[in-house]
Amino acid sequence: MKVQVKNLRKVFGKTVAVDNISFSFDSGHVFGFVGPNGAGKTTTMRIISTIEEPTSGDVLLNGTSVCEEPELARRIVGYVPDTLPAHADMTVYEYLDFYGRAYGLRGKKRAQAVAAIEEFTNVGGIRDKHLKALSKGMKQRVTLGRALIYDPDVLVLDEPAAGLDPRARVELRELLTLLSERKKAILISSHILTELTEICNGVVIIERGKILETGTIDEVLKKSAPRRTVVVRLLPGSENQNPQLIRELLQTPFVENAREVVNEIQFELTGDDSAACDVLEKLIEKKFRIVEFRQTRANLEDIFMKVTKGGVQ
Amino acid sequence: MNLAGIKAHFSNWREWELNPIVVKELRQAVRSWAVTGMLLLFLTGLFIISLLFLIFQSFDVGPDMELGGEMFSWFTGILAVASVIFIPLYMGIRVAAERQENNPDLFYVSTLSPTRIILGKFLCGAYMALLFFSACMPFMAFSNILRGVDLPTIFYILFHLFLIVCAVNMIAIFLACIPASRPFKVFFTFCGFVASFWLVFPVIALSLQVLRAGVGTTMGSGNFWAETLTQIALGAAVTGLFYVMAVALVSPLSSNRALPVRIYISVIWLLTGLLCLGWVRKAGHAEIVYAWFIPMFILLLASLVVVISNSDVLSHRVRRAIPKSRLMQYPAFLFFNGAAGGLLWVGLMMAATFLAVDLLFPTIGNTSNTSLSLKALAAYAFDYALTGLFIHRTFFPHRPAKLTGLIAALVAAACCLMPSIVLFFLNELTWNSIEGLELGNAFNIYSMRDDSRIINHVYFSLGWFALMVLLNAPWFGRQVRNFVQPPAVTPPVIAYGPGNPTSPAGR
Repeated sequence: MKVQVKNLRKVFGKTVAVDNISFSFDSGHVFGFVGPNGAGKTTTMRIISTIEEPTSGDVLLNGTSVCEEPELARRIVGYVPDTLPAHADMTVYEYLDFYGRAYGLRGKKRAQAVAAIEEFTNVGGIRDKHLKALSKGMKQRVTLGRALIYDPDVLVLDEPAAGLDPRARVELRELLTLLSERKKAILISSHILTELTEICNGVVIIERGKILETGTIDEVLKKSAPRRTVVVRLLPGSENQNPQLIRELLQTPFVENAREVVNEIQFELTGDDSAACDVLEKLIEKKFRIVEFRQTRANLEDIFMKVTKGGVQ
Repeated sequence: MNLAGIKAHFSNWREWELNPIVVKELRQAVRSWAVTGMLLLFLTGLFIISLLFLIFQSFDVGPDMELGGEMFSWFTGILAVASVIFIPLYMGIRVAAERQENNPDLFYVSTLSPTRIILGKFLCGAYMALLFFSACMPFMAFSNILRGVDLPTIFYILFHLFLIVCAVNMIAIFLACIPASRPFKVFFTFCGFVASFWLVFPVIALSLQVLRAGVGTTMGSGNFWAETLTQIALGAAVTGLFYVMAVALVSPLSSNRALPVRIYISVIWLLTGLLCLGWVRKAGHAEIVYAWFIPMFILLLASLVVVISNSDVLSHRVRRAIPKSRLMQYPAFLFFNGAAGGLLWVGLMMAATFLAVDLLFPTIGNTSNTSLSLKALAAYAFDYALTGLFIHRTFFPHRPAKLTGLIAALVAAACCLMPSIVLFFLNELTWNSIEGLELGNAFNIYSMRDDSRIINHVYFSLGWFALMVLLNAPWFGRQVRNFVQPPAVTPPVIAYGPGNPTSPAGR
């Protein structure tokens, strides 16, 4: 399953919500969709899920256009909106059962599908509870269950982790990992970027409707933050060697901006892993008593802060 | 569905299931305080009425042979209020809530087809009506035992009331499906509520009339069944019309939304026309044709406003469905999406309506002022529509096509008000001004004192029409030329994505 977003553009009055964006992702990929509020994430996701029509451009789900064949596309894509189920006067079971019926599952097949989803999303214990009586996390699970009931190949999740407690977030992350192992193509938007880094293969950073960065997580991190910061810590009691260590480092190739930060030495490495090895080897040769030598790379949050300006429209 | 499909469908009858929407709606209805509250209130009303009648009857010495009839008329009134007002209101509000775009639960994310969604909503309303009718049944049977009303009359009245509830229910669902903002939805709800409230009184009055006359004795005549079948056919036609329109409203924008609606209107135009012709022949009164002529005229005028608000751009999906044969493309042009085809369709339907009346009923068509004034009115309607179309396509081509209807309405309003405004500035505006000739003002046709001057309106409107046809001809020509199948293209391969060297990240 390949999801191709092609030159997508959506205009609301004078506001360009989505401005000619293109990206694609495949089965088994979890693709993060990141941007400040009002960047156009939800609009894009609603277009992919056939809820909105683009002003121009298209989204192809294995060749099926969401504009031309929305009915077919709805069989392929499962959408988890940022709003929770509106049918407050239904029980969890009735809600899932209704969507099972709506997607054409009949008799035993439907009962099995509902049971499987209840087990997968761990809502079996609350199947007879009304939706209005559920916590936000539980409602989120039910919505995810609704989207999964007919086993769609593509999942579009809009802020699924918003408002969830840490335990629910971990569980959601595990669910998503399981789903990606089941070869689902997943597009997920979230403001919790550390989590996205852990579960996503790729990422799109969007602001004011335009794509700022896209690619695999490694690609984006490499491209946006080519320099790695290396932290060196000497054996406690040897801190008096720190100024000497800084001097030594500054004479070493690929090393820049060496400085002492709270009894640790930090420097920027412009070279690759091999250069890091050379630096470490040299320091050991010079008899520095090193107990820690670690590289830190900018995370998605740093990159997000760097590439976005926080502009809304 | 082909023959094999139909065969398979019936052979798998064990797997037949109720429409999912019906299951969902009924599950929700039984939990709804509104439904249970209304049902309890309804039963309480029936109970109190029965009790009061029996208490007052106990003071009379002689037996009241009309007691059953009197009680039944009250029961019918309560049933009409409960089912004609409450059920459509309940269904309409529910559909409107689900129709909102910020609530993608039903209309937008499920794979249920629009026909099944609307049918499910309609059936749920019908089941709820049956629930109310069933709850009323013991009281009705009781009134029959008390005498004064016969069983055929009870069934006749209840059957007709049920038809009315179904039709009103469908209209409520249609109104709820109109993509409008919340204030407009509230306004529609209010209008619907007031309209159904005003509908209840004639329904009750008609029921009382039938009750007094009784249908038991007339059931043996052919006229009775002909009338009943005609009423059923008209009720079904109205319900069906709003059904296809509601389905069109919830269908995806890229689908051929106009096709089923235009086909349906064309079919009911023909069938109801034949039915009307039959009645004219049977009764021997040519004036009966107005019962078909006027509603069709109004329906086509409403269609005119809708078709000019259609987009000029056909989706690929619609274009792919355009027949390859040139011969088949002509009818397809009339019935498929698009303002140009729609205009032509309304024009032909309108012309056929007038032609049918003129040819079949020359006494009405050629000589009566009604027919002439309707012709002038139709010509004015086309004038306003074509002027609105010309203004939109020339001056606001980038604005949504749905504005065309509004522009046409503004043109009509300007034409109607302009003479009075001019007279006001000339200090010649009086209460009688409207009785003089005001060319361009469609309402003036009916306000003129001298009916012989209607012909001036006809000539003026036809002249305006000819001018607008000339001005819109290039646009129309483009629409006709563009009505062809799209060229076959292979889907482009998109190269952006993780790990791809041509991704925007790498550019």
